Formats: sequence, C-alpha cells, structure tokens
Amino acid sequence: MNALDYVILVGSMMGIAAYAVWNTRGKRDLRGYLKGSGETRWLTIGLSVMATQASAITFLSTPGQGYESGLGFVQNYFGAPFALVIIAVVFLPLYRKLNVYTAYEYLGHRFDSKTRLLGAGLFLIQRGLAAGITIYAPAIVLSTVMGWRLDATIVCSGLLVVIYTVTGGCDAVNLTQKYQIGVIFAGMVAAFFVLLARMPAGLSFGDALTLAGGFHKLEAVDFSMNPDRRYTFWSGTLGGMFLALSYFGTDQSQVQRYLSGASMRESRLGLMFNAVFKIPMQFFILLLGVLIFVFYQFERPPVYFNKTAWSLQAEHDKGGKLRSLDSAFTLAHAAERRQVEDWLGARRAGDARAEAAARQGALSAQERVEAVRAETRAALDAAAPGTKANDSDYVFITFILDHLPHGLIGLLVTAFFAAALSSKSGELNALGSTTTVDIYRHIVRREASDAHYVVASKVFTAFWGLVAIGFALFANLAENLIQAVNILGSIFYGVMLGLFLLAFFFKRVKGTAVFWAAIAAQALVFVLYSTLSISYLWYNVIGCAACILLSLLLEAALGPRGARRAPAP
Amino acid sequence: MKEPTDDTSTGLPWPKRWGGVYGLVMGVFVVWVALLSLLSRLFP
Repeated sequence: MNALDYVILVGSMMGIAAYAVWNTRGKRDLRGYLKGSGETRWLTIGLSVMATQASAITFLSTPGQGYESGLGFVQNYFGAPFALVIIAVVFLPLYRKLNVYTAYEYLGHRFDSKTRLLGAGLFLIQRGLAAGITIYAPAIVLSTVMGWRLDATIVCSGLLVVIYTVTGGCDAVNLTQKYQIGVIFAGMVAAFFVLLARMPAGLSFGDALTLAGGFHKLEAVDFSMNPDRRYTFWSGTLGGMFLALSYFGTDQSQVQRYLSGASMRESRLGLMFNAVFKIPMQFFILLLGVLIFVFYQFERPPVYFNKTAWSLQAEHDKGGKLRSLDSAFTLAHAAERRQVEDWLGARRAGDARAEAAARQGALSAQERVEAVRAETRAALDAAAPGTKANDSDYVFITFILDHLPHGLIGLLVTAFFAAALSSKSGELNALGSTTTVDIYRHIVRREASDAHYVVASKVFTAFWGLVAIGFALFANLAENLIQAVNILGSIFYGVMLGLFLLAFFFKRVKGTAVFWAAIAAQALVFVLYSTLSISYLWYNVIGCAACILLSLLLEAALGPRGARRAPAP
Repeated sequence: MKEPTDDTSTGLPWPKRWGGVYGLVMGVFVVWVALLSLLSRLFP
C-alpha cells in the first residue's frame, strides 16, 4: 500500500465514524439509543441487515471459497428467502405488537423469566464469541499481508467501532452501515471489472466461464441427498432456512436492525430487500473467486498464498525442501498453462476431440498443481505446527495487492475494514442492549431513570467491545474463517429457534418444560457435534427439533404442575 | 371506507398486497436456482 491507499483507508473509516458520531449526538433516551429515532426507512434497514450479516470474513474469505471449491457454497444461502418471509409474516408483527427492545423480552412475555434469561444467555455466549471472530478474522489476514502488527490492527479497528457504537447507539450503527456497505459494493464491483480487464488478451468472458466450468468450478447446485456433503440444495435450503430463521429472527443483532424501522412496512420491505439480494450477492462474491482461479491459469500464483508464513519458513529452509517445492510448482503451473492454451485453441478451432483431450490434460495438470500445494502446506505445517490459518483466506487479498492499481488497493482494504466495522457495530449494539434490558434492568436494577439505563447500555456496549478485542487478541482458528462463524452459529441457533417456534406456535407449552428441554437439547447438540461428521447446517435442524420434541414430552410429563405460570417477567 | 394498514397494504405501486411481495420473493428464488443450474449445464 502507498500513501494514496492509506489516505483512502484512514480518511474513509474516520470520516464515516465521525459523521455518525456528529449526526447522532444528543440521543439521550433509552428508546432512541436502543431502537433509533423510529424514522428509519426500508432501504437503510435492508442495507443495515445486509451489512450486519456480511462481515469482512464474507468479502475476504468467500472469494477464496470460490477459488478452491467453486460456486457450491452459494447453496448455503438458499434457505434465507424462505426464512425472511416467515420472519416478516410471523416474528415481526409479534415483536412490534409487544413493542419489545429485544427478542428475548418476548420469551419473557410468552414463558417466564428463566426462559428469557436462557435465551439472552445463549445469545450473549454465541454472539460474544462470534464478535471476537468478526474482529480477529480480517485482522489476521490483513496484518499478515500488510506486515502490520496483529495486536495493533485488532485494537485500532476494535476501538474505532466501540467509540462510535457507544456514542451514537442504534442510529449510529444504521447510519454507518449504510455508507460502509456503499464502500464495500464499490470496492467489489471495481475489483470485478479490473479482474476482467487483466485477463489475457483475447480471452472472452465466455472463455473464462468455459475454463471455470471445465475445472468443475461452476457446479452451483447439487441435488444429491448425501448428508455427508457439506453443501447441497437440500442442506442449504432446509438447514440454511433454519440457520437464517434463527439468525435473522432471534439474533438480537439482526432483530434490533429491523425493529428500528419507522413502521411495519419499512421493516418488512427491509427484510424483503435481503430476501431478494442475498443469493445474488453471495453468487457475485463467489464468482469473483472463480474468475481469480481462471486468471491464475495464465499468471503464476504463489505456491502458498500466505506469503508471510511462506517467507518466514523459507528463511530457515535448511534442506531446501520449500525451494524445491516452489520450483516443482513453477513447472507444474507452466504445464497446466500450456494445456489450458491448447484447450482454448482447440475450442476456437472447433476441434471437439482435441478440446476434450486438452481439457483432460489440463485437469491432470491441475491435480499435479494441487498435489504440490498440498505438499507445501504439509511442509509448512511440519515446520510451524502452530500455523493453522486456511490458505484460501489469503487468495483474494493476494490478488488485490499483486494485481490491482494503487488507489483501488486502498478502496478494497477500506471495504474489508468497513465490512468488519459494520457487522461488529451491529453485534456490539445488540450485546449491549441485551445485557441492559434482559439482565441489568430485569434482574439487577428494575426501577431507574432512562438516563441511567442509557449510561448502563453504553457501559455494557463498551464492555462487550473490550471482550471481543480481548478474545481476538488470543484467538487461533483452524477452520476457514467464514465456516468458523457459521459452525459456531449452527451449534447454538437450532435450540434458540426452537425456543421461539415453541413460543409462537405451541400455545399450551409452558416455561418450565421449555427451559429444561432447551438445556437438554443444547447438551445433545454439543455431544453430536463432537461425535458426528455431518454438515454443520444440520445442527440447526437437530437442535430446533430436539428442543421442540423434548418440550412437548416434558410438558406432557409435568402436566398441571408445569402448567402453573411463573411470575410475570 | 377502511384505510389500508401497514399489515395489509405494501404502499408500493406493485405488488399492493404483502402476499404478492412474498410470492415475488419466492419467484425470484426459483429463477435464481434455475439460472444457477443452467450455468453449470451451459459450462459443464
């Protein structure tokens, strides 16, 4: 990065944060602080919901997924439109009717105090951990490739978001997210067109897709019923629907976004905006990764995208193992490139037989390339066993730094930080609200002035911000970053969704049965996760089903004793 | 005559009812799945 890139990065980030702080000054009542001014329109809500979900991990890691595995990951989002419609029809009217601050307040109204606390507790644990990942994920990748200090990157970006979220509350979050997502889209679209412009002369978009398809990167929809496959149409639609239903419907970081709408209409349209645009957005980001894969057929990529980790080990490469792997990779890539060029030549000449032979040759050459990569990863792991980060997370940022012009590099790095800050601010806002409303005001101090609760809310928001920064400073993640967040969510969200579905649709089930069933179901999910190897999306379904079934059984067993209503929350 | 409420009217020129909006969302989903399937068939 040069001076221009840094000016764009620092100017945009500080400018957006300062504007939000200035624009939301003077919000002093609890309603305004936690739910906003009540004037938020549907587009702001839609963008805010999108920005809260799409963190920096989405934009850094997803192109790497596309590069490695193609478009299949898009199926993970197939359940989102169904879930968002259900939320607009069922969840939203109930939340608005009861005029709640948090989703867990509703559990208190419907069941009892302990179930409300259980819901809030599950949210605080899951989202508190996820907030750490949200801030850690971009910091580890960006600090590595930029040569920045990891701890300084985490602390600087973490403190900036804490400051404007604490100062401006819900309105500041909504406002910054609108501008941040604008920066993100501008950066991603610019990267897409520059990537197309950097493709070899004469290679049309159709040629690029033909190559991608030939390497099995465009297999977006898999209708097979194999539960061991991580992404299929069925796991994505059914498991993804449960995940999205739970995330958008019961996670306070999302509920708070659409409850800030000026009316039911604005909130609903904001949700429908996401129902329509979520899949195309993910498709576009994955396609970017697939096209980077095509680009690197003609341009030698690094044998290991995390160049810093590579360089560090290469310095101590006593036996010359890494050097020889690098040479082997150069030869394997050159062989693959020749095959790809033959393939394109045969395609243009209309020689189907030669095209099929060259394609087969390219696939074999690609296998050799992947084998060298795997050997390199193994050699690096053996040399530094603590290095666990997934190399695919470094694909997009490496492409940006190596092949995009200055100015655009600054814009893209700004986009990653904007994405990190936008989702983080939504999470902190929700963690602070839940701690204030469901724990502090509900248990610790029931009667106090609005001003007191606003101060408490600010203190709790800052507290969670510092917890997330602390977690990020000590995090060490093995999985691909975006999967780590989804796995964490899937472990908790099923039971959470079960609680809400019981509240909405099973009128005769009471708090005591639900409370113990939820605890048992959560324990079951923990046990299954540590013993089975099924797609993690299924844990949303299992957790939810177990919570509902166990509640019904317990309710039947408890009978009239369990039917006694607990004191009002 | 009863005023249309948030709950029944979308306030949009089209679709005017929420049922229409939800139908549209589902239609868009089907189109996306079809297009994605077509993409893998066009470039096998």
